[in-house]
Amino acid sequence: MFGLNKLIPIDSDYKFLDYRKKFYIISGIAIILSLSLLLFKGLNLGIDFKGGTLIEVSTNNTDIGELRDILSPNFNEVSLQEFGDENTIIIRLQNENNQESIETVNKVKKLISNKVKEFRRSEFVGPTISSELLWKGFQAVSFALLAILIYIWLRFEWQFGFGAVVALTHDVLFTLGVLSILNIEFSLSTIAAVLTIAGYSINDTVVIFDRVRENLRKYKKLELLDLFNLSINNTLSRTVMTSITTLLALLSLYIFGGEVIKPFALTMIIGVLIGTYSSIFIAVPTLLVFKFRPQDEDEN
Amino acid sequence: MKNYPLWKIFIVIVLLSLGIIFAIPSILYKEDTGSWYLDNRLNLGLDLQGGSYLLLEVQTDVLIQEEFENFSDTIRLIAREKRVKISNIEKNKNELKVRFDSADKLKEIKVDFFKSYRSIKFNITNNIASITIDELYKKTIQDSAIKQSLEIVRKRIDESGTKEPLIQRSGRDRILLQLPGVKDPERIKDLLGKTAKLNFHMVDDDDTKSLSLNVVPFGRMILSDIDNEEIKYLLEKKSRVGGENLIDAYASFDQTEGHAVSFRFDTTGAQKFGKATSENIGKRFAVVLDGVVITAPVINSAITGGSGIITGNFTSQEATDLAVLLRAGALPAPLEIVEERSVGPGLGADSIEAGKIASIIGMILVCIFMILIYGSFGLIANISLIANLFIIIALLGTIGATLTLPGIAGIVLTIGMAVDANVLIFERIKEENTKNKRIYETIKKGFDRALSTILDANITTLIASLLLFVFGSGPIKGFSITLSLGVIASMFTALMLTNLLIHIYIFSTSKKELNL
Repeated sequence: MFGLNKLIPIDSDYKFLDYRKKFYIISGIAIILSLSLLLFKGLNLGIDFKGGTLIEVSTNNTDIGELRDILSPNFNEVSLQEFGDENTIIIRLQNENNQESIETVNKVKKLISNKVKEFRRSEFVGPTISSELLWKGFQAVSFALLAILIYIWLRFEWQFGFGAVVALTHDVLFTLGVLSILNIEFSLSTIAAVLTIAGYSINDTVVIFDRVRENLRKYKKLELLDLFNLSINNTLSRTVMTSITTLLALLSLYIFGGEVIKPFALTMIIGVLIGTYSSIFIAVPTLLVFKFRPQDEDEN
Repeated sequence: MKNYPLWKIFIVIVLLSLGIIFAIPSILYKEDTGSWYLDNRLNLGLDLQGGSYLLLEVQTDVLIQEEFENFSDTIRLIAREKRVKISNIEKNKNELKVRFDSADKLKEIKVDFFKSYRSIKFNITNNIASITIDELYKKTIQDSAIKQSLEIVRKRIDESGTKEPLIQRSGRDRILLQLPGVKDPERIKDLLGKTAKLNFHMVDDDDTKSLSLNVVPFGRMILSDIDNEEIKYLLEKKSRVGGENLIDAYASFDQTEGHAVSFRFDTTGAQKFGKATSENIGKRFAVVLDGVVITAPVINSAITGGSGIITGNFTSQEATDLAVLLRAGALPAPLEIVEERSVGPGLGADSIEAGKIASIIGMILVCIFMILIYGSFGLIANISLIANLFIIIALLGTIGATLTLPGIAGIVLTIGMAVDANVLIFERIKEENTKNKRIYETIKKGFDRALSTILDANITTLIASLLLFVFGSGPIKGFSITLSLGVIASMFTALMLTNLLIHIYIFSTSKKELNL
């Protein structure tokens, strides 16, 4: 109708797999970098996982330095940060134990109440809770990966499961690496984002694998390499379309959804980009490792 | 179109109407109206409407330690009666070791001890008695403490005037509180942070030596004053009467003493109080709250009426709060706040506003893009997308789900991902279209081919989001609910509604071929 539907031609014929070695190297480096970042720099853990107190205030044009000067002498570990605009400030404090938190919040409120228009939120997470939350998050991600693997295994041949999990692990590690390097706060909602990325990436991979399986039955004589290329091209416009609509929605969430949701939206955006890339350039080429034709096995 | 199965049209119409009918209350109404239909609304989470979430831990360890303290007092008392000397008492976390000078009367002591306590392990080796309790005994103590705590917390919260609080046990020794609309969480925390154990003890003013040397004789204890830690009192360890005998307490104003708390005892309490005061005229008695002395007046005359007044340097708020605490009763063990999330109404309103804008703009962007790419088919996908949103909101409203900020994120994400099923179908139709078949056959093939892919792709997303629900806490659960419902709704709209709309479109334009 508008001519844009031919944006990606239906008979596109890109030789994606010809460049697979290059992408292996790129991804390999990215994973090694991500792992070393995670090991040596770590994630910017929010209070969900680190414990501590967080207070968000809105001020009447009070300078952040002024508040810092009031608070710093009174607390050991206090950090202030503008949150979205210069009249919204986040105060973070570390407490040693649970009981301290009540006093901490009260003390902060007393010290700066005349400089502040509104106390927008206060959060406190005790040390036992933060380690429990971290453990639960870890469990959620591991079980999700496992459950997805089992599902793929049941629905496809196990080689596909392997390819999917390689791609999935790649996406999760790569995303965490980017989170680490950009210093994006890692919180409960970031875990939700990582899990959703896992779901999205596998969704993307499954669509291409579905086509690979179909083509394996359809074109029995075709070289595996050409068959994989064909399958990626068959599904290419769908892959691009869905990524774009998802990214459009996420972009809107990132820009207009408010400051609290920004890390979540940004993590998702990064993850969707990585997930789309890995479905095409990592998941499918991994299948080449096996040099198999499932229907040959069926016939034997 | 003539051959289009009627039952499919029927299902689509029914589900769509239900979706719209049940989405209306959530979209249009904000307040409860009392009507069954209109109150089928989305509940807003604390992060959107403002309020406090508190997770409290009952410090049951303190109770276990208290229990061991009681054991040791009982043993000392028995030993004194039997004239057996104790050379030392060793308290560990799970064991009380009492070393006697001789092993002679240990058996008798054991028998006497079991008159007061049951189901406790009392082992004798030579002249050492070792007392331990098992896990079951511990669990009984903990369970009853948590039940009691829940009761007291509920009373205190009710007294504080919080509307629609949610108070429930969470895990082994925790209590979860959700207090919507609380503006001053600090006051609530103050109310919950106090055990509020009130006891009346006689003051021992004769034994000045012990106090000055800071040595505690048996059956005595030393406590400090609430206003000045330097001031110490030597008190009888055993209280004469306690807060459990109070039936009423209220803040009052005394001309000379200022803000005070008036109280009234039940019959037993009045008797005990009357006896204590009549026997000790001229002496002092101390009002002890949570281990500190609030006041220690001299008894001028016997107080037999069962009512009295506690004075101290109270502010009006402090007197009111103390009265609330005394009315609600004492907590069996201290509560510790282990997690708190309080959101002010300003931030909540801002989040809703931002969420609305993000959803609308996301929606518009996706819709424009779909029309640019697929033309009329894009328009059809957009109608499905809007229907999808109505169905999600209707489902969330009817199951009484709570909409949280991550939940809004889930909806926005769904907007982006829900068109996926449509895209899969359109791309298949596009492929089939090149094979020069009849138009209806092309469409049918397109849907059939896309079906298994749609199922596979959506089920994997559902798995991830279900696990989020199982392991996620609070707001994250909200995200997984909206995402799951979104995925399910998008499968229905794509497979049923889009299908019907495409047929209507082709029928009404009498198209012979597709220019997709």
